[in-house]
Amino acid sequence: MEVVETRSGAVVIVEPLGRMDSTTAQPFGDRVVKLIRSGSDHLVIDLGQVLYISSAGFRSLLIAGKLIDELQGKLVLCGVSAEVKRLFEIGCFTDLFDICATRDEGVLKAT
Amino acid sequence: MPEITIANRANERTRAAGVLDQFAAERLIAPETVAQVQIALDEILVNIADYAYDDDAEHQIHIRFEMIGGCLAAVIEDDGARFNPLETPAPDLGAPLRERRVGGLGIHFVRQLMDEVIYERVGERNRLVIRKFLKA
Repeated sequence: MEVVETRSGAVVIVEPLGRMDSTTAQPFGDRVVKLIRSGSDHLVIDLGQVLYISSAGFRSLLIAGKLIDELQGKLVLCGVSAEVKRLFEIGCFTDLFDICATRDEGVLKAT
Repeated sequence: MPEITIANRANERTRAAGVLDQFAAERLIAPETVAQVQIALDEILVNIADYAYDDDAEHQIHIRFEMIGGCLAAVIEDDGARFNPLETPAPDLGAPLRERRVGGLGIHFVRQLMDEVIYERVGERNRLVIRKFLKA
């Protein structure tokens, strides 16, 4: 899956494009983990261009969240559409992540 | 109605998703409905890969998509060990982030997103039917 990566001050914004499913989630997750381990532990994941997230996709988000917690960094999600939000609700993930409406708010919160 | 037979490998799942995408586009099915069926299909194919086989041989999974009476359905058949995903225990959804495991979540998604899920053991094959009613 294509991933757009941008930097805003000390915060890195990662924007996955397309579907986060059993095929794409692992390479995406590996990339995010690598990024975190290389020192970018203030992270915004912008889900605005994601079509859907399967359990494999949530697994990669959980792994990123746990790692950032351990490193005492900050992970914020943004751009969650109504359809994707429903998936967070079904999996009871809403309370496990900081979710902001916009990318700017996300960057502010992750700083 | 489109059908596809895929090998039991991760990259083959993309082909199945492609067939569903094309079928849904031809039938003008709403993207959010297609997304839900795509998720359910992905979860089921992952479950088959994880639980159906105790050997390393290549196995075939057959998938057929149908539109009958305002209902989008996928019929998924494999020749693996008897496995009824509807009998898997519900995941623990209350645990905090550090303790969360994602086991069982896939089937939870299937149950929540689909309107009907039917499991049958037919001879030596597992058959799972998932159905999503389309909004009028």
